[in-house]
Amino acid sequence: MKRSAVFAALTGSFKTRLREWMRRRQGPDALPVSLERRRLYILPTRAGVAFAALLFLMLLAGLNYGNSLALFLTFLLAGFALVSMQQCHRNLLGTALVAAHAPPAFAGAAATLHVTLGNRALRPRLQLEAAAPDQPVVITDLPAAGEQQLQLPLPSRARGLWPIERVRLSTAQPFGLFRAWTWVHAPLQLLVYPRPRGALPMPVAPGNKPGTHSQGGSGADEWLTLRPFREGDSPRQVDWKAYAREAPLLVKEYSPPGADTRLFEFAQLSDPDIEARISQLARWVVDAAARGDRYGLVLPQVHIAPDRGPQQRHRCLAALAVFGQAHA
Amino acid sequence: MPDSRPLVWSCAALTGGIVLHVDRVPLWASAAALALVAWRLLTARSSWRGPPLIARAALALLLVAAVLTRFHTLNGLAAGTTLLVLMAALKLIETRTARDQLVMVWAGLFLLLAACLDRQGLVRAPLYLLQAWLCCAALTVVTARGVAARAALALAGRTLALAAPLAALLFLFFPRLPGAFWAVPRGEEALTGLSDSMSPGGITHLSSSYETAFRARFASTPPPAPERYWRGPVLHEFDGYTWRRGAAPAAARQPLEAAGKIYHYSIELEPSRHRWWFALDLPARSPDSKVQLTNDYELLAAEPVTQPVSFEALSYTQVRASGSLGAAERRHDTQLPPGRNPRALVLAQSLRAQAGSDAAVVKGALEFLRRGGFEYSLDPQPTGADSVDDLLFGTRAGFCGHYASAFVALMRGAGLPARVVTGYLGGEWNPIGGYLVVRQADAHAWAEVWLAERGWTRVDPTAVVAPERLRRGISDLFPESMSAAARVWRASAWLTRLMQGWDATNAWWNGHVVKFTLDSQLNLLARLGIRDPDARYLGWAFAAGLIGWLAIIGWHIGRDLKLPRQDALASAYVRLCRKLARVAPARVPHQGPLSLAATVSARRPDLQQRVDALLARYAQLRYGVPAPATREQDLRAFRRAVERLSLREP
Repeated sequence: MKRSAVFAALTGSFKTRLREWMRRRQGPDALPVSLERRRLYILPTRAGVAFAALLFLMLLAGLNYGNSLALFLTFLLAGFALVSMQQCHRNLLGTALVAAHAPPAFAGAAATLHVTLGNRALRPRLQLEAAAPDQPVVITDLPAAGEQQLQLPLPSRARGLWPIERVRLSTAQPFGLFRAWTWVHAPLQLLVYPRPRGALPMPVAPGNKPGTHSQGGSGADEWLTLRPFREGDSPRQVDWKAYAREAPLLVKEYSPPGADTRLFEFAQLSDPDIEARISQLARWVVDAAARGDRYGLVLPQVHIAPDRGPQQRHRCLAALAVFGQAHA
Repeated sequence: MPDSRPLVWSCAALTGGIVLHVDRVPLWASAAALALVAWRLLTARSSWRGPPLIARAALALLLVAAVLTRFHTLNGLAAGTTLLVLMAALKLIETRTARDQLVMVWAGLFLLLAACLDRQGLVRAPLYLLQAWLCCAALTVVTARGVAARAALALAGRTLALAAPLAALLFLFFPRLPGAFWAVPRGEEALTGLSDSMSPGGITHLSSSYETAFRARFASTPPPAPERYWRGPVLHEFDGYTWRRGAAPAAARQPLEAAGKIYHYSIELEPSRHRWWFALDLPARSPDSKVQLTNDYELLAAEPVTQPVSFEALSYTQVRASGSLGAAERRHDTQLPPGRNPRALVLAQSLRAQAGSDAAVVKGALEFLRRGGFEYSLDPQPTGADSVDDLLFGTRAGFCGHYASAFVALMRGAGLPARVVTGYLGGEWNPIGGYLVVRQADAHAWAEVWLAERGWTRVDPTAVVAPERLRRGISDLFPESMSAAARVWRASAWLTRLMQGWDATNAWWNGHVVKFTLDSQLNLLARLGIRDPDARYLGWAFAAGLIGWLAIIGWHIGRDLKLPRQDALASAYVRLCRKLARVAPARVPHQGPLSLAATVSARRPDLQQRVDALLARYAQLRYGVPAPATREQDLRAFRRAVERLSLREP
């Protein structure tokens, strides 16, 4: 038990050093990255080692008994292994990591890294493996001159901005005797929002009473303002009449029934545990966003004016995620 | 539902290995192994996890015990192969993961190795290649998951084809060992051919096998048909029914003098798993240090012939012995079992009484056989314990073994030292290969009698009963003794010729591929002009060859990784972007030409006009509605403009 722990520690430190060395050697990457020769590494797999042992045995037997057929088959299979090494290398060579993006996730929830692999060669690529550090491998085939999107699992983490140090791309195909691999050190980050938690009632901004409409509108169909079209907006909300007058795409913003303007202030919470306060604020932000309220956030040194929509939600949650951390 | 292909393919790799040995391992073993494979495939869909560990262990022990009972050892090729077949099939039962399935592929390759060690015939070679191909394809199906059978076979076939040149190179130049690291396992069961004993009375049907026993190539003309006696084991001890080699008294070999022609020739023996080597009667010397020339002029090797063997031999077909027979040997070779074959003994004594000399006794006995109404038959009646009496006075029909046995018994009864010699008589000329083929069907037995003035003298009583046997093989005399297929070949001239061609190909295969040894390598190097091969230079040459091959393979595989050729417009645009990258931030992938123009103009207002025009031109050429007539010209103009674009500051 103790020995295996020492062994694990030794291999662990070796692996860390190896990674550091490779990072230094390859330098930082900017996407898209096309995998060239210099950054591909290749080693035999377990199956490859077993195959080599088998070949060695065949060689010994063939030499000892002067058995020509055994020797020829040994040489044929050795050549086969060498060709498969080259094929394995070529299977990865020239593959591109076209894009990678990790959408923000909540603390404790599963996170994923979306990567797009590209193949500009005229031959499909067999069984490419991609993985975030220490995470399960996702396997895909790449069509000839095509692209493929993958979702790599990321570990769930506490709130904050986490760098994704590297993405490992590898392949053991064809034949599984060798594995070629490389690491891409792109500047990737995962933003982890705080986990929304807490049961305190949502505060209301000064000058607004809960339950009354800020603009005094009478119906749900009454719209408040126009704003530029954003990805994800419903086409029903687009002001098509304005568009017909050659105006840019505008979206009518409605005030949902019961929508309020609220201000969430860090200083007003009394819980001594800062994480609990952050979680409570996140809870309010998520809830208010779900209700379609206008809301603002006030943290020490950060002030986000009331607004609504996905951008506002992200701004607030991001501010909460990195609150009190290095860059703040 | 999980993909069943990896399991099916690992089963296929194992089954291929079993099939290679199906005629060598006991029938029950291959049946059991194939049944286990079938069972595993049939239960693949069910969720049952197979028999418990205890049951599997018990089954394994049972199978080991069965192998031990059959072979009395686990060592040796046959026992080891049987065990491997059974254990691999048993392992299949608990195969779940990809790693277990890989083990099945390794087992298939192991069985392939065992098959190579067992037999290296030309017919087997394609089977071995098929098995290697199957295993390689299984490798990709098992490790990759979701690969179609056809794709796997194509991939493995292409890879093996690329590996073939390296395999040929290595085969020719990889240094061979002069000897062996460890001993070759001792003889197993004999395949075919002659043994150390002969009981003609017990054989009621002599089947004639068309298999080749050996081939003989003569430096000059081969001996005439009646002199094509090929000497094998010499039998001395007789119990009235069976002849055995027995333990000869320690005596010196009779010195020989050649009286006729001396033959230099080479023999290529097919594997027989016997220790006997065959040579033209009589071999004058031992062809190999590991082969003993016995006192009876037999060639007895230290190890059984398990692989094709070829050797140079020297023989005298007519000899004079100059020594005399010692008393112990005389006694040994005149012994008859007391009380057996009484009528033959009476006949022998009467022959002795009538004859004036030893030679006259021989003549008298041959006369008896000639006039006694004897018949040459491959399907004689069985004889009793007094086999000689039964033949001479009862059945009067038999083959060479019967007549040799009876004749030697008669000679011994008359007081002449005599012995039975077994071997082959005949040989068919193969005009394509230029050699004599001696088949198992040519097996023969004859007698040797000691005559004071001539020494051991060959007497063939069969030649008296069936004189045509000297000139023609058994298959010619008794076509019905051959298999149906052999009869068809013999019936047609061109099929015969085809078979001769096939046999010559086999001979070439045995001589040049199977027996490609250190000597053959040295010969090859000498022919390439390297007389004294230096390991270092050969190593360098070898490394250079290997690297060259790897480079060619790399180029070959990498060909279709190249990007498709860009069209002229795209390459001109790429050139333009590269040029502009010197003065402005490089184009990012999502940036279009007009946006790029804005970036460049922001950095270098002086270029604005020209760059805007160029990029607008590109956008027009790329995305605009092309004017077919002028497009070619426009393109050329654009390329020229890109070339001429100067980025120098004013």
